[in-house]
Amino acid sequence: MITIKNLQFSYAGSHQPALSGVDLNIQDQNLFGLLGPNGAGKTTLLSILSGLLRCPANTVFIDDCDIASSDTSWKSTFSLVPQEYAFYSELTVAENLSFFAAAQGINFATLKTRLAETAEITGLTERLQHKASTLSGGLKRRLNLAIGLLNRPRLLLLDEPTVGIDPHSRHFILETIKHINQQGTTIIYTSHYMEEVEALCDQIAIIDNGSVLVQGALSELLHDQKKQTLTVNLSKPASTAQLEALSQNRVFSHQPLQLIFDIHSNKDVLAVLTELNQLKLETNQINYGRGNLETLFLNLTQRSLRD
Amino acid sequence: MRLYYFVKKEFLLLSRDLHGLLLLFVMPSIFILIMTFALQNQFSSEGKVNIDYLLIDQDSGALSKELLESLGQISGLNRINHTGSEADLRALVAQDTSKFLIVINNEFEQKLAAGKTVVQLEVAPGTKPVVALLIQSQLDSILARFYLRQNLMPLFEATGQDGINLNDQSKTKDLLAVRSLYQGGGALPSSVQQNVPGWLLFAMFFISIPLSNTLIHERQQGTLARLKTMGFPNHIILMGKLIPYFLINLLQVVFMLLIGVYLIPALGGERLMLGDSTAALALLSACASLAAVAYALLIAQLANTTEQATILSGVCNILMAAIGGVMVPRFIMPPTMQELSAYSPMAWGLDGFFDIFLHNGGISEVLNESAALLAFGLCMLALATLLSNRRSSQA
Repeated sequence: MITIKNLQFSYAGSHQPALSGVDLNIQDQNLFGLLGPNGAGKTTLLSILSGLLRCPANTVFIDDCDIASSDTSWKSTFSLVPQEYAFYSELTVAENLSFFAAAQGINFATLKTRLAETAEITGLTERLQHKASTLSGGLKRRLNLAIGLLNRPRLLLLDEPTVGIDPHSRHFILETIKHINQQGTTIIYTSHYMEEVEALCDQIAIIDNGSVLVQGALSELLHDQKKQTLTVNLSKPASTAQLEALSQNRVFSHQPLQLIFDIHSNKDVLAVLTELNQLKLETNQINYGRGNLETLFLNLTQRSLRD
Repeated sequence: MRLYYFVKKEFLLLSRDLHGLLLLFVMPSIFILIMTFALQNQFSSEGKVNIDYLLIDQDSGALSKELLESLGQISGLNRINHTGSEADLRALVAQDTSKFLIVINNEFEQKLAAGKTVVQLEVAPGTKPVVALLIQSQLDSILARFYLRQNLMPLFEATGQDGINLNDQSKTKDLLAVRSLYQGGGALPSSVQQNVPGWLLFAMFFISIPLSNTLIHERQQGTLARLKTMGFPNHIILMGKLIPYFLINLLQVVFMLLIGVYLIPALGGERLMLGDSTAALALLSACASLAAVAYALLIAQLANTTEQATILSGVCNILMAAIGGVMVPRFIMPPTMQELSAYSPMAWGLDGFFDIFLHNGGISEVLNESAALLAFGLCMLALATLLSNRRSSQA
């Protein structure tokens, strides 16, 4: 569905390229997770895909159509749901949906049914006459998503669609996204929530410094994480002396309240915990096993998603 | 279809923006009412000046009565009858209750013959020097007439001639013709005729604040970017803004003119005369509206934040109004400032309204002003489109 070949992009006046030779291949009906720390190039990539930034010729193809060409037929079946609440807060839900449906060229005859259908999918049927500014954060996210579904897109770009909402609304939105994907829509999904990406996406790409670090099926990438780790969450940050003492015997990475140890055998687990106890480091939570998406991400980028 | 929904959306947003509506309709209405009544006397032409004064007659003789009559015949002077003491009257003048006090000294006739002071003129502190000079010259003229008559009449009588009637001013009136050269010899605007079109134009250009604010909000909230991802063309966004605000501008015209025609007379002011040509009024209003909305679109493209837009359009509007003759009428400006005001679109609009209201002008009389406003509007629109396209390509 989407083929990206050696995509390079620099902002005017910037010496550092925002994207330097990105190659990606996204198949039809994939639910594709695009991960990267802040400033990695995700937004630039999404902006190029959605036409907000000018795309260099012969680099991005959607259904074999070069998006830099004058052929914009692919746009009618494409939709972007931005991270911001990109709707009119002083209009009602129905007024917003009507306006954006008309903006996408949906004709008057089908507008009403399309509006009802979208409201049904996103659980907004009971809220159609409510002013958008009066909706809760979760309902605003649903409205933001609903606007993106009005044209029944074949390709949907979701930029952090669950940021800042309560667990109930998050669950509803994730279920809706799954449902839309099962109906045949290809979805590119960016999120800071690793557990969401792990639960939703079948394919992922990790991007940093404008380059794709890894791409493939999530299950295969996690399986390749041969290394076992022990992740210890601390109740208070370790002192420099405690960290120095630990580093004499152990290989580990650390964040203020987290230590991640490389483990070679089960005996190591006991030894690490004993050592932590001796150093009087209080633990809150311990995770042991093969690396998850977060450890894969941290290993590849050497930084946290929120950096 | 897209344009229709965009325009509908604008109307819905504006109808829910109370502050925007207050700015567009209530603020200029209040300006019109305040300025019309506050400046009512300043714009008065002949017969409409009203200068109050107090008088003490210590003589009460035949000649002093004649002086009172002569003063009473001067148009614009209004004697306030007060029964208080001399000290009371002086205190009132000192407090600016009236513009001046005239004291006719006792033994008026004898003192006049002897060439002594017969009248004292005491001017209130707030009276403009030019008004004081006018009163002084009027009194000088009357006293000179009395003095001449008193001294010349015995000469005529001694030679047996009929003499001359120094009191007959009907002949000397025709010796001086007065007309204003403002607007090529036409009438000066009255307070209502100056203030209604002036503040109306000011309000029309103030549409730049709500218009630019909505466009900047859309940019900041990401709705414009979202529309762009939907393939929504830039020109429809600009047209979608232009059409509703153009109509609102025309609504402002009707609203403000109705205030001039009905509300101001109902409150005791002068009625606004609209002239004879509705077509000329419609043409001029449409061109002024296009100029104002296109200028607002340019402000919205130049500013990045609503604060910038508010300051930029506020400053530009006030400057255009100040040099354009809205705040200070052009006919009282010195020649250099009148030349400078020719660069303000508000002055073009105001000249056009004066052509219609004061000279009963038709379409041909307002063609120049309408064409200037139209050209200004098209230039602003072209610049706004250029900047909008540049912003889109840099998004």
